[in-house]
Amino acid sequence: MAVFGLLVTPAGLIRRGKSPIGIGAYAGLAGIVISLASTIWLGFNGAPPITFGGFQVDLFTYFFTGVILLVSLFVAISSFDFMKGDPNTAPYFGLLLLSTLGMIVLAASMDLILLYVGWELMSVPTYALTAIRKRDPNSNEAAMKFFVLSALSSALIVYAISLTFGVTGSTNLQTIAGSLATITPDSRSFALIAIVLFVAGFGVKMAVVPFHMWIPDAFEGAPTTVSALLASGAKMAAFAAAFRVFIVGLSTINVDWYSTFAIVAIATMTLGNVAALMQKSFTRLLAYSSIAQAGYVLIALATPFTITRDPLGLAGGLFHVLNYSIVKTGAFVAAAAVATRLPVNTLDSFTGLGRRMPQTAFNITIFFLALAGVPPLNGFFSKVMIFTGAVYSPFSWGGYLAVAALINSGFSMSYYGWIIKRMYFDDAADSSKLSEPIAYTSVMWIATALVFIIGIYPDPWIRLVRSVASSL
Amino acid sequence: MAVPTFLFGKKRTNVAKLLGVGTTATVFALSVIIVVLFQYGSTGFQFTDTASWASSFGLNYVVGIDGISLPLLIIATFLCLLAAVGSRDMISLREPEYYALFLLFETGIIGVFTSLNLILFYVFWEVVLIPMFFFIGMWGGPRRKYASLKFLIFTYAGSAIMLFGFVALYAWTGSTGSPSFDYTTLIQRAASLALPLQVAASLATFVGFAVKLPIFPLHTWLPDAHVEAPAPVSVLLAGLLLKMGGYGLIRYNLLLFPAADELLWPAFTAIGLITMVYGASVAFVAQDLKRMIALTSVNHMGYVLLGTFTLTSVGVSAAVFQMFAHGLAVGMLFLMSGYIHEHAGTRNINELKGLRGKMPTTTVLLVLGSMAAMAVPGFANFISEYQVIQGALSVAYLYGLAILAPALTVGYFLLMLRRVVMTPPVGTKNELGTGPLLILTAFLVPLLVFGVYPSPLLGSAIKPTVDHALSVLFPGGN
Repeated sequence: MAVFGLLVTPAGLIRRGKSPIGIGAYAGLAGIVISLASTIWLGFNGAPPITFGGFQVDLFTYFFTGVILLVSLFVAISSFDFMKGDPNTAPYFGLLLLSTLGMIVLAASMDLILLYVGWELMSVPTYALTAIRKRDPNSNEAAMKFFVLSALSSALIVYAISLTFGVTGSTNLQTIAGSLATITPDSRSFALIAIVLFVAGFGVKMAVVPFHMWIPDAFEGAPTTVSALLASGAKMAAFAAAFRVFIVGLSTINVDWYSTFAIVAIATMTLGNVAALMQKSFTRLLAYSSIAQAGYVLIALATPFTITRDPLGLAGGLFHVLNYSIVKTGAFVAAAAVATRLPVNTLDSFTGLGRRMPQTAFNITIFFLALAGVPPLNGFFSKVMIFTGAVYSPFSWGGYLAVAALINSGFSMSYYGWIIKRMYFDDAADSSKLSEPIAYTSVMWIATALVFIIGIYPDPWIRLVRSVASSL
Repeated sequence: MAVPTFLFGKKRTNVAKLLGVGTTATVFALSVIIVVLFQYGSTGFQFTDTASWASSFGLNYVVGIDGISLPLLIIATFLCLLAAVGSRDMISLREPEYYALFLLFETGIIGVFTSLNLILFYVFWEVVLIPMFFFIGMWGGPRRKYASLKFLIFTYAGSAIMLFGFVALYAWTGSTGSPSFDYTTLIQRAASLALPLQVAASLATFVGFAVKLPIFPLHTWLPDAHVEAPAPVSVLLAGLLLKMGGYGLIRYNLLLFPAADELLWPAFTAIGLITMVYGASVAFVAQDLKRMIALTSVNHMGYVLLGTFTLTSVGVSAAVFQMFAHGLAVGMLFLMSGYIHEHAGTRNINELKGLRGKMPTTTVLLVLGSMAAMAVPGFANFISEYQVIQGALSVAYLYGLAILAPALTVGYFLLMLRRVVMTPPVGTKNELGTGPLLILTAFLVPLLVFGVYPSPLLGSAIKPTVDHALSVLFPGGN
């Protein structure tokens, strides 16, 4: 029942979403709000885990569904202004909901086939969304690039699924975990290939190095609100799938994929942060910073458990997923707000923004400080949990991983601080005040409020992610 | 009972200057009450207050004061009050934001000196950083943008490394009982850590504190930040922000890792010595009065590092007392440099020739402030610097070299005074009002009182705590 309540609500609204302009948007918004409310209600009432075919609706699912719906809510609200006067409003919201549904399916699937269905359901609408500005060559180019790489990742995942099926004879993750524990040496190599393919396939969407190339181009070319969906929603759904597949399905196989993730995490963080420093475009800077943030979550995959089998790192990773989604969506919406008045592909637009668009500038400052991990904002606590998990892990390299992450975290302040400096300390050539559309500012203020709420009193949230991590 | 609790309730966003000054005055009054109620001679933490915050991750709100934090707490509230009063004359732009950030800063600084949970400490530590970034960047001098960003990146990177030390401590001590960020728990466990782990954690935290202190190779943010910051903010920077580094060194670096201390103290004291001499030498060539004062901070904070890692009771107590005395002396000089700049139109030492003509009373105060910074007997600074060197000598005669630093300090201060004061008076009179003069004089009172009679603070508050802590740390004596 819960499954239906959760999944059918947005699905049912999609049909109405395609009907005449105006209604579709509101209907879509209502759908998201209803499903978000029902998710939170079910999650907090401690509904028992339900298995329904390939679906597994447990606390983990509720958690990710909540995060994804929150992102999609932010995107939907800010899209009201963005799509104003556009003839494609109804399809836009329809696609948004479809993609959201795909992400939820992804978070809920315990079966690899269903996982793939969710993956495609999430991806295909985003291609169209990226290209929603038909006449804009940038948007089209971004969509094309995104489509090619994304299709490749889907292909890799299908291949990995088929290999796994060949080795274990099942597509159910729990069954897979059972048979991998007693794997014969001959079929072991196939399982290894499958793992590599999974890493690569998920890696494209998770934006980890070396599969990150499409991110900056796609985020810059796509409409900024869609970038927010890609950067937070799609990415976090991919992480949900990776958490499920690796922690549940492949944890029993005696292969050191932990250190693989550790190396990828270090490469991702470092490249993201260094490249972000060199960007001349605000959306590209956000894109690289989101790559760097993905690196932090990857640490959670590399060191999910402490010596005492306490899933501290994993809980930190999930917490960071929540925090990152809020902050990053907020930052992209802020970029969209600036884009309504000024070009965002140059940092000059941000000079003196503190006086020109005070609300937006203030919110960007908060988001950036949260991304850099300044306490008492939300990003700090999840980062500390991840780093502690790394040091506390049973691996001897855990400490080095944490050092690398902390140096990165310290380094990232240089570009965040640089933008803040531009907004507040530099004087713009034209310091006229610009209007700030309410659709954007309301999202930003909600996000900022959440940043402070989670940051100042993180206790319930830490308890939540800890129980989510144990439920996996 | 804890001081920060009072602060949390305070409004931060009021427009009036009155609220800024009023709050700092209230907080100062509260800290005076604490000084009166403090049980001198006892060694444990007092006025402790505990509340669960995020106990699911070892983060609790635990604050308390002992003999080491007491003097720092007093100067924190005292300097904040004086700087807030001083700001009324010097800050005329975006005042609401300024005073809001000012109170946020005060919250942070008091939290740093009182918190007894490592994560709580780190939270307050960073709460100090962000207002300071905006102070320098928004209300600073001509090169404020460069200085503020440099300050932010240096100190933030330093604190990230420091955080590693904290996190590692949590994880490594977790094998003996449930992992904890609580200071009193950790102080018992950390001593039994293996030497390599102690050294790693000690070095990580050292980097974080050393950037703030600052020590010789990591100090380059300091002159820029101090020179560009508005004068009241320079008071906070030099008077309080640097003390965070010194306090951290004593509270965490020294008292948590006994085995690492015994291994690393020669290196740390050597760095301290280099910092002392380096700061003094560079101050000789400074042309800007404010830059010169900034560099004296580098010079004087070297004493703190040296004294702390002599691992002797005399040295450590003197290091704490040095922070107290230096905060007052340098705070006075910075605020004065701000007033001089406003009234004389320049801070260049050569152009200030004949200051007596323009600002006779200020000149007298400048001489007195310089005397304090030079550690002339009678001022509190003399006692602390003398004892640091005494402590250092008791460890190794080689540290007789440390006597070079005060000699150099006297040298550059006299050079400055000769050019500014000992020249024929020039110009028409443009003296400060009674208010500013009173503020500046207020700095001198504790300096002289504790210079002549230091024992209430040094003998009955700092020393017993340090003695006790060191005897716990090195049971065999040192």
